Amino acid sequence: MPLRVSFDDFPTLGKKVNGKRLVYLDNAATTLKPKPVLEKMVDFYIGSYSNVHRAVHTLASRATVAYEEARMKVAKFLNADPSEVIFTSGATMGINLVVNSLLRSGILREGDVVLLSQAEHHANLVPWIRLSKFHGFGIAYIEVNEKGVLTEEAILRGKEYKPKIVSVTGHSNVTGQVIPLEFVREVFEDAILVVDGAQLVPHKRLDVKDLGLDFLVFSGHKMLGPTGVGVLYGRKDLLEVMEPFLYGGEMIDKVSFEEVTFNEIPYKFEAGTQNIAGVVGLGYALDYLEALGFDSLEEHVRDLTEYLIEELSKLEFVELYGPLDHSHVSIVSFNVEGIHPHDVAHVLDQEFGVAVRSGHHCAQPLVRALARGTKLSNFPNSTVRASVYLYNTKEDVDVMVEGLKKLKGWFG
Amino acid sequence: MIYSDAIMDYAKLRKYRGKIENAHRIEEGKNVSCGDEITLYLVFDGDRVAEVKFEGQGCAISQASTNVMIEVVTGKTKEEVIEIAKNAENMVLGREFEAGLLGPVLLFQEVGKYPMRVKCFLLPWKTLQIALER
Repeated sequence: MPLRVSFDDFPTLGKKVNGKRLVYLDNAATTLKPKPVLEKMVDFYIGSYSNVHRAVHTLASRATVAYEEARMKVAKFLNADPSEVIFTSGATMGINLVVNSLLRSGILREGDVVLLSQAEHHANLVPWIRLSKFHGFGIAYIEVNEKGVLTEEAILRGKEYKPKIVSVTGHSNVTGQVIPLEFVREVFEDAILVVDGAQLVPHKRLDVKDLGLDFLVFSGHKMLGPTGVGVLYGRKDLLEVMEPFLYGGEMIDKVSFEEVTFNEIPYKFEAGTQNIAGVVGLGYALDYLEALGFDSLEEHVRDLTEYLIEELSKLEFVELYGPLDHSHVSIVSFNVEGIHPHDVAHVLDQEFGVAVRSGHHCAQPLVRALARGTKLSNFPNSTVRASVYLYNTKEDVDVMVEGLKKLKGWFG
Repeated sequence: MIYSDAIMDYAKLRKYRGKIENAHRIEEGKNVSCGDEITLYLVFDGDRVAEVKFEGQGCAISQASTNVMIEVVTGKTKEEVIEIAKNAENMVLGREFEAGLLGPVLLFQEVGKYPMRVKCFLLPWKTLQIALER
């Protein structure tokens, strides 16, 4: 079924930027927010807002119901149990929670090996790297090839390290590659599998049970939801034995001056007052996406990605990165020969109203790896990145491609 | 548009590129948010900055800014250079500054309108300041 997006729901797209129609191609960084989601959040703030799980008054009860409804929506979306859905501030906090809690519970110990991939962004690298310094576990990597791609052969080679934990992205924010998670699960049958779903979840309905995921993290703001809210899915039996990450109110059972016992899952991982309206808003965003249909969304984004790659490939002065095949979704990184990505992005914005990202995309090691495969005379250690979502069209791609031709002419 | 012909010419200038063997000071500067890197090589003659060259890469703004900076500071005393650097920073941050000290640095005044590009302009200046104050 074709995707039916009401452009009235995205008034930002009707705004002019530098006198030009806005062409928003920075969806991998964050997405625009549909007006109906924002309006519902305003209604919630005005009519049902209070702190949750505490007071007995009417507003508190409405807020608690709305908050727990959002949890149930997410649980249904992932095919998880609501007790396995923990609200966080985003994917970054989700990873930090997993690493710290696994360590405190003795599930991850000195001498163990954690296998990451070279395609990770900093959120799934830095927490592991830093904590390995204090706790003495080892880190190994699944290597990317010269296009920044994780091949099945490379994934298989990771087996040599006998990892206790495998933590990988589901969809690279630089190369756009969707990682074959079924294959990863199959290869590392006994490992605890952590998936960074920051880029994948906005595009694909995942069944955590079917995929056999032990942990999955993602952020709400990359899927039409508000900023500052995200989700950690964790397998029940693991969550139950894990020590909390943050301590404070709400996550406790009994507290004396000497001892503390914890609340049950998921509450023991949600210390302090949560991002209540953010959680509720994420639920509304999910409703919005479900109404459009994830299958239609995925198909739309795949078609558009194919068109984007096709059109960019026609420009002989553009170098493209990533798999450039069926596994390549939404995100396309490239460089223009002789022009630095910042200059490309600046001119696209100022002269053509096109919003793209330039830089290392919080994935410095991966961008450096792309230098191995480059044919550019001077690889800039960064790329331009265009990323499409449900409200983008082929015209958006055309505007960017025309812009690239003109700016290449100007800069020479 | 900040990409004036003059700025583009400075961006492509080769004169100050390269390494100085036996430089008195070598300073590396980096914009962590974008990955731009430069290395400045400085030769002093007493209290004066006698010669400066640089290696590295980055956007047209950071490259042009580096070339202009080297042109402007060569032959000046350290004290004068620090004064110029402060005024260059004030200019791009929209504060009061002394235009008479800046010469071709004034080409970059418009960069101040683009907060995301200010750091591109400032990369060489910050690197030089650190080199001189060390």
